[in-house]
Amino acid sequence: MQTTSKKHQEQLWEGLRNNLTLDLFDEEEVEEVLSDIKSFDPSLRQKALALCFALSQSASGLVPNVLRRVKAAAKSLSPIETERWITQAFDFLESKGMDTFFQFLSKTDEEDLEKFRSLEGLHLHSVISLLETYICGISGISMKIAAGDETYTDTETLYLPRVISFYKEAEKNFLIYKLLVVYQWAQISQGSLTPEPRILRCFLKDDSLSYPDISSLFSSFHDPELAVDLYAVLDACRIENFLARELPGLMKLASQIKEDLCRQRPEVDTLTDKTALVEGLYQYHLSGHVRGRLSRELSEALTIADKLKTKDACSDTLDSLFAMWGSLSHMQDEYHRPVFLYPGVIDPQKISQCQQARRKSLQEKIQSAITKLVNLPDVEIEPFLREKSKVHVPMKNQPKKDADYLLLKGRLFELDHESKEIIHETGIFADGILLDASSVGQNCAVISVMDLIEDEKPGEVQGGIKYDEWDFRRGDYKKSWCSLFEQDIAPGEEPFVDLTLKRYGGYIKVLRRKFELLKKEMKLLRRQKEGDDIDIDATIEAYADMKAGLAPSQNLFVKLDRQARSIAALFLLDMSGSTKGWVNQSEKEALVLMCEALESLGDRYAIYGFSGETRNRTEFYKIKSFREEYSEAVRKRIAGIVPKEYTRMGPPIRHSSRILGEIDAKTKLLITLSDGHPEDGDGYRGDYGIEDTRKALIEAKDQDIKPFCITLHKEASSYLPHLFGEVGYIVLDDVRKLPSRITEIYRKLTT
Amino acid sequence: MNLKATETKSPVLGEKPYYRAISNEVELFESAYAHQIPILMKGPTGCGKTRFMHYMAWKLRRPLITVSCHDDLTASDLVGRYLIKGGETVWVDGPLTNAVRTGGFCYLDEIVEARKDTTVVIHPLADDRRILPIEKRGEILKAPPEFLLAISYNPGYQSILKDLKQSTRQRFMAMEFGYPSKDLETEIIVHEAGIDEDLADKLVSFGKKTRNLKDRGLTEGASTRLLIHAAKLIRAGTGIREACEVAVSEPLTDDREMLNALSEIVNSIF
Repeated sequence: MQTTSKKHQEQLWEGLRNNLTLDLFDEEEVEEVLSDIKSFDPSLRQKALALCFALSQSASGLVPNVLRRVKAAAKSLSPIETERWITQAFDFLESKGMDTFFQFLSKTDEEDLEKFRSLEGLHLHSVISLLETYICGISGISMKIAAGDETYTDTETLYLPRVISFYKEAEKNFLIYKLLVVYQWAQISQGSLTPEPRILRCFLKDDSLSYPDISSLFSSFHDPELAVDLYAVLDACRIENFLARELPGLMKLASQIKEDLCRQRPEVDTLTDKTALVEGLYQYHLSGHVRGRLSRELSEALTIADKLKTKDACSDTLDSLFAMWGSLSHMQDEYHRPVFLYPGVIDPQKISQCQQARRKSLQEKIQSAITKLVNLPDVEIEPFLREKSKVHVPMKNQPKKDADYLLLKGRLFELDHESKEIIHETGIFADGILLDASSVGQNCAVISVMDLIEDEKPGEVQGGIKYDEWDFRRGDYKKSWCSLFEQDIAPGEEPFVDLTLKRYGGYIKVLRRKFELLKKEMKLLRRQKEGDDIDIDATIEAYADMKAGLAPSQNLFVKLDRQARSIAALFLLDMSGSTKGWVNQSEKEALVLMCEALESLGDRYAIYGFSGETRNRTEFYKIKSFREEYSEAVRKRIAGIVPKEYTRMGPPIRHSSRILGEIDAKTKLLITLSDGHPEDGDGYRGDYGIEDTRKALIEAKDQDIKPFCITLHKEASSYLPHLFGEVGYIVLDDVRKLPSRITEIYRKLTT
Repeated sequence: MNLKATETKSPVLGEKPYYRAISNEVELFESAYAHQIPILMKGPTGCGKTRFMHYMAWKLRRPLITVSCHDDLTASDLVGRYLIKGGETVWVDGPLTNAVRTGGFCYLDEIVEARKDTTVVIHPLADDRRILPIEKRGEILKAPPEFLLAISYNPGYQSILKDLKQSTRQRFMAMEFGYPSKDLETEIIVHEAGIDEDLADKLVSFGKKTRNLKDRGLTEGASTRLLIHAAKLIRAGTGIREACEVAVSEPLTDDREMLNALSEIVNSIF
């Protein structure tokens, strides 16, 4: 029976290879497909092979594509579930034809795969956000949780099993999840995974390494796997003790689960010596006893583990490990790594990679923070710091006795061990001076270097802010399709604003007067039926009337009329390459006039510019935020506006809506200054670009924002009514009119 | 016509209010008082700003008048107004005037909630002139040396609309209040609610974990006040988990998911 199936399989391989060779020509490509199929889980391989063979009969060119889909599905489904998924695909291919088949294949989103998931057990994806909030509350740091083949952490992401089906009851399985995240956090916070280099150097023979980490430590053992596992189970005693103190409620509930887990473990005397040692320690950690007969080494190990329960430092665990290691040298048998559902394993390599990446990015951040500080003129250092760090008054940071300091621009920056090392090593302390605590007086305020760099919002540094993009052909959003980066604009040197002011001098005076007329002061309305206060004059009159026998008036109150202007306007400026020349010049002049007018009116306003290239990099330049004053810095930034690349309008409009959404105002205006069609490199042109822009504007309208576009394009009227609705736009054929027209437009829009 | 500002007068020689100093705020306050510098206190809600005022008023033996500001608070609510009594108009002092006349402490709680034009009334009182002009009576009151003006606000709810004007801010000595340290907070809860230290310690640990979630789903973490509420409920016989839920979690958020996470945290601690 087996031989026939084997034979059948060989035929399939052969047939597939032949079919592929006909279409793909490239021998390498064929081999790639075949090895891809071989890389699947054995239970899947047969199905995947059959599917590919069937497909290759009619369209072998599509096989690589389909394989990619299968791989994508296999990533989020278990092998059994993937098998079910492939079966469904097969059915479609055979019964309904290619179109349905490909439609089905293209849906590999979480939601679509959901129905193929097995019902048993608790799935990680259903509790992931709860777990993330939970561990964030417990630990105070945002940690990501992801599905992994094993339970481990690289110190930034916690990897957990996709499904836990140890119990029938979902709550108990959830409790295991909770225990896993908490345990991994405890490993991180208690330093099990990142012992200090100082400690590691004591254990390492080779002290030439500049940054020893846990990976270099364990690779020095002749049997690293055993050493890591021994370390993990020994350390579990210490961690468990910490958790019992920190989260007594959880650990009380955990004891039942640990008993249940232990009941399913093998007896140690049935295992090889090395395996028995790890297994025994594991069982001891779970339940305090060991199943089976103890060897001498194991009972010695248990005594050592027992002592660790009262210890706090990971160096104690390392001490114990090394003490034990010597006595294991006579064990010659194989080590078979036992599988632990709880608490998972330690993966030194992943930790090491993660730490190195973190160190590198920290180095870059420190470097850029210091460069920024150095480049700031002395006067501006205060606002920069105020923005970046909270200097508490009166409980301000006082210099510590044992820390190191960097004196830069008359400010004292506290360095932790790591940042000091980085600064030393790269010599990036510029013209600052490194000091130790003894030369720092006790009464000066210090600023932690970490405060300088940690304020940057996560997600905006690496991948930018993600925005969906509307694809009108699909009738749906492309999720998180575009990346937008907020950037500062380099200040321009020329006195552009002053020149403009001079040029438009007379007009500006008129403009100011016009705008001042719009201002509504709070007015005290007298003789009202109701109000904040008694109108004394009216009351006395009424009183006199009453005495005279007349009917007194009822309007006896004064009321403050509070219909103040509550307008926030965001000007979004097209900085694409096509604005080069007069357009750019006019846009800038228009901005200057607008600022002058708005300053006299007192409306809140912000100015941003945008440009970019492809969906991966939309740049969003801050010229003036709502919070900022119209300062010299803003004027310099206006002067610094230069044409950049393309016009992808969707993401900047969405980002502007987000900014306006955070502002509290009755009327919110989004005024776009542009010179033409939305257009970008990767197919963002024609209807596609217009439809996405339109969608972004509709989203803005839904948030009670009034979009308005001023465009400097002669043909624009063909698409603009569609974009902005019939009234929300104006086309200027002569760019030179822009500066004088824009203020007029604004006046009309807001009255 | 109702006086919307609430007034509380603490008796000059009442019982000593409980206050546990976090840092050198008591000395700073005394020093500011001696030099007639008005005081601005900022910090999250429920971290002890009002209690601190009560304590200082008691310590310095001055009457304390507290006004909780709201967006309908007018200048006359603070300064005073004419009322009609028995057919005649009678002038009635507002809480601020009252404090100036008696040389007490006037404490304007959550000052940013008041309208901007109201806040300006305190300007002449808060600089070296130390006068309070009462427009309607044509009277100018000079504050005696014992008078002290204190205001508080919570910078956490920062919005452009609700920020103090620079001209107001720059008249005050500012003190920032934060949550007390773990040990201090435990001590405070033990004292206020009369529960044992172990339980208080766990409550503080819970509070700290909710503060971890600030800006990650919660706008603010649990204040010491909420923890004391929970502790009091527990002392009165409510179950620990229920007390944490009704006194801490539920007041913090309405979001179901967040409430679930909070209750998981409670279960892990107790």
